[in-house]
Amino acid sequence: MIDRILLGHNQFFGVNHLDAKVGDKKAAQFGQVQKIMDIINFCYDQDVKAMMMSTHERALLVAEEIQKSDRLRENLGIYLLVPYIAKYIKQANEKGIVNIVRDSLKETSFASKLGMFMRGGMGLLTKDVKTMIKLLVDFEVAPFSKLNLKAIFLHDALTDLALGWDMPDVLELFADHVQKKYNAVPAFCTKNLPRLMKLLERTPIKNPLIMASINKLGYQVNPSREEFEDALKKYELQLLAMSTLAAGYLKPKEAYEYLFSLPRVDSVVVGLSSTNHAVETFSEIRKHI
Amino acid sequence: MMRLAVIGIGKMGMLHAGIMNALDDVELCAVSDTSNFLLNGVKSLKPNLNIFNDHVKMLDKEQPDAVVIATPVFLHVPMAMECAKRGIPFFLEKPLSPNSAQAQELIDTVKSKNLVTMVGYMMRYLDTYMKAKAVLETGVLGKIITVHSTIYVAQLFRTGKGWRYSKEQSGGGVVISQATHLIDLLQWLLGPVEMVTGHTKSWYSQEVEDFAHVHFEFKSGSMGWMDSSWSIRHHRLMQVNIEIHAENGNLFICDDYTKLYLDDAKNGFNSGWTNWYNPDLFHGVEIDVGGPHYSRQGIAFIDAVKNGKPVTSDLRNAFEVQKIVDAIYESAGNHGQPTRV
Repeated sequence: MIDRILLGHNQFFGVNHLDAKVGDKKAAQFGQVQKIMDIINFCYDQDVKAMMMSTHERALLVAEEIQKSDRLRENLGIYLLVPYIAKYIKQANEKGIVNIVRDSLKETSFASKLGMFMRGGMGLLTKDVKTMIKLLVDFEVAPFSKLNLKAIFLHDALTDLALGWDMPDVLELFADHVQKKYNAVPAFCTKNLPRLMKLLERTPIKNPLIMASINKLGYQVNPSREEFEDALKKYELQLLAMSTLAAGYLKPKEAYEYLFSLPRVDSVVVGLSSTNHAVETFSEIRKHI
Repeated sequence: MMRLAVIGIGKMGMLHAGIMNALDDVELCAVSDTSNFLLNGVKSLKPNLNIFNDHVKMLDKEQPDAVVIATPVFLHVPMAMECAKRGIPFFLEKPLSPNSAQAQELIDTVKSKNLVTMVGYMMRYLDTYMKAKAVLETGVLGKIITVHSTIYVAQLFRTGKGWRYSKEQSGGGVVISQATHLIDLLQWLLGPVEMVTGHTKSWYSQEVEDFAHVHFEFKSGSMGWMDSSWSIRHHRLMQVNIEIHAENGNLFICDDYTKLYLDDAKNGFNSGWTNWYNPDLFHGVEIDVGGPHYSRQGIAFIDAVKNGKPVTSDLRNAFEVQKIVDAIYESAGNHGQPTRV
C-alpha cells in the first residue's frame, strides 16, 4: 500500500523550483542533519510516516540517522529516487559517462567477488548492458538497503531519456530488478506522463506507480495540463503527485481541491522546510483522502 | 520521416538524440562514437539503431538528413566540415571551436552552401531570458547604460581531469566552457561587443582559467562587466545573473525570474516593479528530457531543417561569441590590455 502523504526531500538538499538562491539558503539552513531529522520526526508524530529520499551524499547522513532510530528504521517508509543525477552530470563533465560507469561498477560487491579486474571481467561485463544496469541500481541503493524501502523510483532524467530514445526494455529491466531484488514497488518519475504511459503499454508493467508534477496552474506539466488530465482518465496508474503547489504559487486549499478532483491521484509529496503551517497542510490533504 | 544521426553519445549527445528522436517525423537512425562500450550499450537496448566508430563512414553510409555533433570542442570544426562538405544541416554543441581562426573555413563553406546550422546556446530558450528579450525589444527601458552579470557554479575544487581542462582540446577554462552562455546572452540582449578587457586566474587548474572578470564595451555605447567561475561554493547548479541598468529603470534576469523596474510607466508597462517567475511564463513541451529549453532548441533546429525557419543561434552567431572569447584571452594575456573584438 502506497502511503498517502509523503514528506519531500528537495528542500533539504538545496533544490528549489522557484528560486535557486532560496534553494541554496535552505541547503545552508539544513546544514546540520539534526535539523532534517527534526522535520522527519515532527511529520512522523503527525502520522506522516513516509518520505522521498534522493541518493544525494547528504541523504546518506540522513539514512544513517534513520537507522539509529528504532521507530524510524522500522516504520518510516522510504521512497528512494535513484540516482542523484546532478552529481553524475558534474562528473560527466570531467570524466565522461564511460568512466562514471566503470568507477561505479568497481565499487560494487559483485565486481570484487568476481575479481574481475584480475581477469578482464570488466570487459565482459560491459558487453552485458543488462547486468550492468542492475549493478548500477544496486550501487545506488546499497546505502539505503537496510531501511524500510517501499518503492524505488527511477529519476526522471533517466526515465525520460529512455522515453526519448524509445527504449521500453530499460524501464522493464529496472522494474523487474527492483521488484525481485528489493521487494519494493518499482516506480518512475517523469516530466512526460502521457507519453510515458503510452510507452509502458508496450511492456508487461501494469498499473505502475508514477511520480509527476501536476497542479492547477499547469506549471511543469507536459505537454499540457489538459493532455495530462486526459492521460489520467485513459491509463491505469497510481499517481504520486509532486509540485502540487506550483512552487508555492498556489495556496494549499485551492491546490488540493483541484488535485483530488482528478482520478488516480493516490498520494502527494509535501515539501516542508519548517513546521509552520504543516499541521494545516496535512489536515487540508486529509479532507480529501 | 527525417533521418537523424548523432556524432558523440556522451551526456549532451544522449540528451539531444533523446529529444529529437521523440519529435514527430524524426527518427534517430545512427550514432557514432569512439567508445565501443557506449556503442554496444545503445545497440543492445535499441537493436535497430546503426552504430559506427567512425563518423565519416556513418555520414557516407547513412546519408542522414540532419546531424547532431556533441564531441569535445577540438573536434567540432573538423566534424562539422564533414557535414558541410556533404551539404548536411548540423546542430553543433557549444562552444564552436577552441579559437575563431580554426572556424573561418567552416563559416565560409556553410555560407557558400546556404546550409542550416545551429549551435547549442540553449539559454536563449529559457522562459526568463525570452521574456527579457521581449521587454528590451519594446524599448521601455530607454537607453541601456550598463550591465552587471555573473555566471557561477560549484564544480571544481581540485585539479580537474579530462579534455575540458586541457587548453589545447577545449580552448580554455571557464570562459570558453561556461561563460560563453552568458556572453551569447549579452550579445543577444545588448548587441555586438566592440572592446573587452579581461582578467583571469587559475587556481585549481594547471592549463586553464578557473576565474575570469571581463569588462565589455558594446557597439551601442553601453558598457558592462561579467564575472565568471566554476569554483564558487554554494551554487549547486550553474547560475546566471544579469542586471541591466538603463535610463528609465532596470531589468534583473536569472534562470528563475525576470524583474522589471520602471521610473515611468511606458508602452503598457506600469511604473515600479513587474515580476515574472517561471510559473508565470511556463508552457509545456511535447517532450522534456533535460529541461524545456533543450526541447525548444531541438524543435527549432528540426523546424529549420524542415521548413527553412531561421534559428536564433546559428553558426555565424557562435562565431561572434568565439571572437569575443579570443579577445578576452588575448587581453588577459596582456595584463588586461583593452582589446578590440
